[in-house]
Amino acid sequence: MKETYMKECGTSFNALTVNEEASRCLLCYDAPCSKACPANTDPARFIRSVRFKNYKGAAEIIRENNGLGDICARVCPTEKYCQLGCSRSGIDRPIDIGGIQKFVTDFEKASHMHILEKGTPNGKKVGIIGTGPAALEAGLRLLIMGYQVDFYEKEGLAGGYLRTGIPEYRLPNAIVDDNIHRLENLGATFHYNTEIGKDRTLEDLKEKFDAVLVAVGYSKAKCLPMFEKNPYVISAIDFLHNVKADQGSHDVKNNVLVIGGGDVAMDVVTTLKKLGCEHVTDVVYEELSEFLASEKELAGAREAGVTIIDGYVPDAVNENVVTFKARHIDATYTLTADQIILAVGQKPDQTFGLPMEANEVKEDNYHVDGNVFVAGDITKGDKTVVWAVKKGKEAACAIDSYLGGKDHD
Amino acid sequence: MINKDLSIDFCGVHFENPFCLSSSPVGNCYEMCKKAYETGWGGIVFKTIGPKSFIVDEVSPRFDILNKESTDFVGFKNMEQIAEHPLEENLADIKRLKEEFPDKVLIASIMGTNEQDWEELARLVTEAGADMIETNFSCPQMTSHAMGSDVGTNPELCAKYVRACKRGSSLPLIAKMTPNITDMVPCAKACMEAGADAISAINTIKSITDIDLERKTAMPIINGKSSISGYSGKAVKPVALRFIQQLRDGIPDLPISGIGGIETWEDAAEFILCGATTLQVTTAIMQYGYRIVEDMKNGLMHYMEEQGVEHLSDLVGLANKNIIPAESLDRDYKVYPDFDLDACIGCGRCYVSCFDGAHQAISFDSETRKPTCDHDKCVGCHLCALVCPVHAIGMGEIVLKEGRAGQPSDKHPFNKHWL
Repeated sequence: MKETYMKECGTSFNALTVNEEASRCLLCYDAPCSKACPANTDPARFIRSVRFKNYKGAAEIIRENNGLGDICARVCPTEKYCQLGCSRSGIDRPIDIGGIQKFVTDFEKASHMHILEKGTPNGKKVGIIGTGPAALEAGLRLLIMGYQVDFYEKEGLAGGYLRTGIPEYRLPNAIVDDNIHRLENLGATFHYNTEIGKDRTLEDLKEKFDAVLVAVGYSKAKCLPMFEKNPYVISAIDFLHNVKADQGSHDVKNNVLVIGGGDVAMDVVTTLKKLGCEHVTDVVYEELSEFLASEKELAGAREAGVTIIDGYVPDAVNENVVTFKARHIDATYTLTADQIILAVGQKPDQTFGLPMEANEVKEDNYHVDGNVFVAGDITKGDKTVVWAVKKGKEAACAIDSYLGGKDHD
Repeated sequence: MINKDLSIDFCGVHFENPFCLSSSPVGNCYEMCKKAYETGWGGIVFKTIGPKSFIVDEVSPRFDILNKESTDFVGFKNMEQIAEHPLEENLADIKRLKEEFPDKVLIASIMGTNEQDWEELARLVTEAGADMIETNFSCPQMTSHAMGSDVGTNPELCAKYVRACKRGSSLPLIAKMTPNITDMVPCAKACMEAGADAISAINTIKSITDIDLERKTAMPIINGKSSISGYSGKAVKPVALRFIQQLRDGIPDLPISGIGGIETWEDAAEFILCGATTLQVTTAIMQYGYRIVEDMKNGLMHYMEEQGVEHLSDLVGLANKNIIPAESLDRDYKVYPDFDLDACIGCGRCYVSCFDGAHQAISFDSETRKPTCDHDKCVGCHLCALVCPVHAIGMGEIVLKEGRAGQPSDKHPFNKHWL
């Protein structure tokens, strides 16, 4: 079961099949895919490079536009972004852009390419709180511009949700490690087991650094009031964290109820199945037609044999017996489970007294006040990795403009 | 399943169908030829037999391919020379094949170094029972300059060797031509005047398919070096058709065995329409096997049915009169492209190609992602139709150029790319 969890899933093109896929690309003018990538990874441009056998050039385009290109290749819900407008859909199906991107970034790794280079030091320092995707992308951009960058991470390893939340079969820790090493090689310093607000204060960092970027993400699970203090209940992010920390050597119960229908819920139910849980029942607020999870994730869950009850809300709970009510029809559903996992959303854990509005920090182009900036899930916009990359990139530019660097459009 | 008579007569020899193996690695021994006959090939040109004095000594490896996108074998490069088996063994194979397959055609390909060789070889293959002789004046990778395409570019030598063969045999004789020449007609004429009965064309084109970027030599690599050698396959079809057309223009009604990149019934039909009576295939067999003849035969039958033709010979050369000098073409009109916007998928490729490769007539609306064509700028070149991945661009309005006489309705501009 551990092997099933540890084995990476998804498309794996080889030199032959990647050329076939790239040849399917129509090489559009003003390509819809490139316009749809929040991080400006520019798929049209790198697919064209693959089509004309320039894998190294393709790797440069990806890495220079999206510092976490190998991660996005694996976890991005491409059907909602680049593949959504793909012209090839007018003939049959969109190009597998994530698959091509994974091939190219794997090639980059196998060829030991070092695409990003440290900028000439400008004598200025930026402290970054958090090491999730927004933090890592911002750090890369700042290092390239010549800043000294220090990361503060409350855990013993860097990567944030990439390391603790996304299951190994979707994003191996080895890929996260590669990205941390890339930052270290560019000169970044990582301060582990250092929680700001406990081990050090934000005020300290504001003093020490020319600018501070708060990119702490949504690391705390939301709970539904009726499930509070229930011994059968565990949050999705705790569950995923534990399994990934154990690298799949994790005992699961035989009959588990999962509540939630987003990508995190799909990760939970699929992980349960991969670990050998016999009965996985996922009860989801949305009906299938309005599902929040990405197609790939939902397909993975269904393939794994998860029972999905859509359109129901929890109505009553007595220890491990939960009764749900249908939202649109007159029906109830009661189930007894060995364990209940809640995947009903996340929120920020610590926000250092920054001005908040509905779990998002009030900011102006990532700037809060003084020398404090924010990025990642705690700012407005989608809560996906590719959006975190976009925000990290833009926040780095905002910091650079603030510290007297060039104007960024 | 359709069943039509594909038989055809060529230089007095009856072929049950026009499909033959060309003289090459695919017809190198009894077992291969037997399997080819049993698979349905109408004839075989047995791999070229040389004189005893010429020792065949091949390199390893000896082939290369040109790829494009994910298509292998766009073109094929071959360094193999003539048959490496002993003369007696080849003659014995020919004899046995004719005994076992009396209704199939066996053409013996031969190549000598001097008149005595040619005469002797012609006599030997005739005695072995061959139905026809093909004189190989065209192999571009021989290790002797007295043999191969160096001969085929010299009309006097060609004529001399044809006459020598005719002294050794009374069988119908096909002279196989090299495309490594500007104009094939003088050599072909010399052969015909010397007594040849037909021409086969084309042999392979001298080539370098690619260069190994690390080892800085051509492919295939033989102990760090390589050589120029013959190129064949789909990529050479346009060159082959052009030579065959020119032969038919230069020598009216010339009997031709067509060779060069044939792998489908459509290719076969194209060669026939250009004037070939029989057809020869190698590269596609090397890639896919003898079985390809099944679809070539069946497809050709369906084409005959569609065309309402009972005898294959009725199709031979039908395109020749419609391929005319550039100066004779009707230049009085232009045809505008017509855009089927319902079929258009908005990729913008027509816009890119029109701007970068034509006349900047197409504009592209970035909101609707649809093209429009400015007739003032459009010259009617139809590059847009060729690049459209969904064939959404076809024939639009026909207009006469200013000051030209005639009626647009009298023009016949339609072509197969306009679906």
